Amino acid sequence: MEVLALVYRNLRARPVRSLLTLLGIVVATASMVLFLSFGEGLRRALGAELSRVGPAILVVPEGAEAFSPGYPELRPETLEAIRRVAPSLGIVQVIPTAVFARGGFDPSSSFVFQGLPAGVTARDLYPNLRLAKGSMDPGDWGAVVGGGVARRNNLDLGKTLRLSPQVTLRVVGVLERSGGLADNFIYVPLPVIHALLNTGNYSSILVAIEPGRRAEEVARALEERVSGIDAQTTGDVMRFAERAVRISDLVRFGISLVALVVGGLLVANTVMMSVYERIREFGLMRALGAKRRFIFGLVLLEALVLGLAGGLLGLLLGQAASGLVNWFTLREVGLALSAVTLRLASFALLVAVVLGLAAGFLPARTASRIRVVEALGRV
Amino acid sequence: MLEAVGLCKRYYQGELDVVAVDHFTYAFPPGLTAIVGPSGSGKTTLLNLLAGFDVPTEGEVRLDGRVFSTLSEDERAEVRLRHMGFVFQQWNLIPTLTALENVAFPLMLAGHSLKERTERAQALLAAVGLERRAKHLPSRLSGGEQQRVAIARALALDPPVLFADEPTGNLDSASGARVVELLLAQAQAGRTVILVTHDLELSRKADRILHLRDGRLMRVETPSAGLTRAAQSL
Ligand SMILES: Nc1ncnc2c1ncn2[C@@H]1O[C@H](COP(=O)(O)OP(=O)(O)O)[C@@H](O)[C@H]1O
Ligand SMILES: [Mg+2]
Repeated sequence: MEVLALVYRNLRARPVRSLLTLLGIVVATASMVLFLSFGEGLRRALGAELSRVGPAILVVPEGAEAFSPGYPELRPETLEAIRRVAPSLGIVQVIPTAVFARGGFDPSSSFVFQGLPAGVTARDLYPNLRLAKGSMDPGDWGAVVGGGVARRNNLDLGKTLRLSPQVTLRVVGVLERSGGLADNFIYVPLPVIHALLNTGNYSSILVAIEPGRRAEEVARALEERVSGIDAQTTGDVMRFAERAVRISDLVRFGISLVALVVGGLLVANTVMMSVYERIREFGLMRALGAKRRFIFGLVLLEALVLGLAGGLLGLLLGQAASGLVNWFTLREVGLALSAVTLRLASFALLVAVVLGLAAGFLPARTASRIRVVEALGRV
Repeated sequence: MLEAVGLCKRYYQGELDVVAVDHFTYAFPPGLTAIVGPSGSGKTTLLNLLAGFDVPTEGEVRLDGRVFSTLSEDERAEVRLRHMGFVFQQWNLIPTLTALENVAFPLMLAGHSLKERTERAQALLAAVGLERRAKHLPSRLSGGEQQRVAIARALALDPPVLFADEPTGNLDSASGARVVELLLAQAQAGRTVILVTHDLELSRKADRILHLRDGRLMRVETPSAGLTRAAQSL
């Protein structure tokens, strides 16, 4: 009790200095939490996204990056090959699609068109999509618009979309917002994309399997029997993404490390100053019979309290910042980009504690080595 | 019993060799022993050696027959905690702790429970007439009150030896008298009280006066007014 009183009152004795130090750690922790929350948000969004996709397997050209259906490269022969082996692998549906993207960095002026074969609707790809108005089927020259794009660009039934000087489509259906990436797509007939890009190839082929089949096994078998493809399951995509996210986590942690080190130095400086101011006090304690360990612990505790308090407040601030980011990105692209998960929160607190201990070590050692005679002075 | 045997402390200052304490030998019996001498005669250095704040260049300090001065820093701290109490001239109290917490501090170091130390500290404060100042920080106490808190703290673990280095040096005569009274009472109760002072008036109240000069024990005087002795002979 006297020990905690000592730590607390000593920090309170110089409130401005203590607060400034605290603020340093708060900002450092908050920035770390915010930085790392993007990785966590990405994982969470990806997991949610994949759970929305109906078909279990995504076939892309061999060597293509996961989750980025680029220029159509899968040839019609490949589609035929997949169709041929389908019955023996328990494949119940094969949906070729082609993607055409137009626009720039600003999400409100960029469009992604996904071409679907006749008879296939957006709901076959993303089962939780709901129709708001019009029709689900784009027909020959129509477009079904995702809820997100529709809202951002005021697309309503009857409006026209110019994909090129030659190709103009009329909006025949508008979807409800579902909160996923699918809200940002415009679903059009596959031949339109083929005409537009002057190709007969596909960007990706979605493969649905019969219940009871294991997606991983079917995917491996497909890759074996059809050449030039990668068959990805949700698990594959998750694992691939996890690797990428982890690397970017490291980079972002590295950046926030700068702020953390500065925060740690702040604590070290504050505690060291307070040690120098209290040499007489520590000398007195030693004279009264306190062991070195006691003084060491006392000073270390002071740094630890600063670290932990700063860490907790920083976590709250980081969470608030993450909420703000999400509010913004939800409005702009319909995705929550940032997430402060339990494990991120625990990690942040752990970092704050380690920071406090590291910052307190040197001052604590200095304080514990103060000699009674020198501290009390020769009066 | 506290004993010094051939105690020497030398400081090497360049060419000059200062012998602050020079072959000091004395066994301190219970009662009040005053150490007097002019400034620079080695009083503080001697006290530092006796209390184990510093180590002697030569000779040793024994406590109850066991050599104390060659123990490690932490071992000496432990001995101080259990067997010695201290009242310094100033800066006696931990500024961020209340009077009560200051008195309870050695009890905390010794591992007593919160309840125990609060009760004991309250009783000790009452014994020095400061029960109503228990919750005050040192900065709100007068110099005399601070010294009395320090005496209460020195008694916390009931040590056989008390050291007081100029305990009245910064006090007016009335508060000084109060502090001296308390120390005398402890001497009469059978503790070994070692008082460093240059106040000759004050030293007259001791059972023995050790006269120090250039670090050497010149003379041991037994003043007629030795209060403890007077009380004991009654
Ligand atoms: N740390 C030290 N370094 C060098 N000389 C010292 C030191 N401490 C004390 N002295 C010298 O030792 C002598 C005794 O000092 P001190 O014990 O403080 O005397 P007193 O307390 O009687 O005034 C003095 O000459 C002083 O200058
Ligand atoms: Mg002195």
